[in-house]
Amino acid sequence: MSYPNDPTPEQQADWDNRFRSVNWTLLPSPPLAPRAQNAMDEVLLEEMAAGRRGPHIRFWNWQSKAVIIGRFQSVKNEVYEDAAAAAGITISRRMTGGGAMLVEPEGSITWTIAAPDAMVKGMSFAESYQFFDSWALNALRELGVEAWYVPLNDITSTGGKIGGAAQARKHGIALHHTTCAYSMAPGVLTSILRIGKEKLSDKGVTSAEKRVGPLRQQTDLDRDVIINHMIECFRNQYGLVNDNFRSEEMARLGELVAEKYDTPEWVYALP
Amino acid sequence: MHGEYKTPGGKLVVVDFDIVDGRFKNMVISGDFFLYPEEELPVLTNALEGVDVELDDESFSERIRMDLHPDTELMGTSPEGIVIAVRRALDGYES
Repeated sequence: MSYPNDPTPEQQADWDNRFRSVNWTLLPSPPLAPRAQNAMDEVLLEEMAAGRRGPHIRFWNWQSKAVIIGRFQSVKNEVYEDAAAAAGITISRRMTGGGAMLVEPEGSITWTIAAPDAMVKGMSFAESYQFFDSWALNALRELGVEAWYVPLNDITSTGGKIGGAAQARKHGIALHHTTCAYSMAPGVLTSILRIGKEKLSDKGVTSAEKRVGPLRQQTDLDRDVIINHMIECFRNQYGLVNDNFRSEEMARLGELVAEKYDTPEWVYALP
Repeated sequence: MHGEYKTPGGKLVVVDFDIVDGRFKNMVISGDFFLYPEEELPVLTNALEGVDVELDDESFSERIRMDLHPDTELMGTSPEGIVIAVRRALDGYES
């Protein structure tokens, strides 16, 4: 079965070779505070740039609910701040562009994949987005979720939009992270995120909620089962060795949260 | 003033600004677009700062294009898309 925008067999073979060109490690998934999760990407990117950390994948777990906004989004244009505060939702700004996402501890599946940008040499940005998520789409399809890529950065399905991706390119490293909705309580999204009609103007739907198709609506599998399947798919295809965070990385994480991700100067960089 | 424009199949760009003595002031450009490198955002934002609001759209987008470094990648929107948001703000278009 083929889906819209699938790579050609030649393209898939090229992508496979690229993925196999490095040694991948899998990092652990301790629940972190939302702003620490966003800071962790930057810590690991810095460590890779310094040659102390190799290509890796990590899945994210959350200590609390959060709205993660894109690097270039304005807080007031994206979030009903009073409603977010009342619901105990932290606002956190990530280092990458793209749109706001609402995450709850068991409500989404989020991961980061990071590699030297030589891995995507000669690719357009658009192709590199699809490349970095290609293994994940295949893993979801094996679980019966009929998902495909919509350039630039969306993952959609027969049941609606599942998720989206964003990428940082810095210091010779490509860092790509993706969030898929797993389950979502009705009404929550539109009470927290300010989604104007202009944003939906080319989507052919009248509400953001109708647009989203969380994985839980398309499979009975637990979140952990899906994540484990994704990990094993990657491991079987491209190799993956389990690793841990180094104590220096955890120390740097604390610093970076305090000096950047937890500060109003960063969170409200675009007020 | 506030204007928004979503490039069909692309991303949303939002502009907020004041007009002082017939010129753009306090311009803020935001949205869910992608910009590489991210440090180019002030360049984008400053391109129209202090510019005469009576100029035409082509002059606005030319200013933005000229200021962006040739290696900058702006994805999901464009100088023309930003100018549509600016024009909507100037025209009082509800978005």
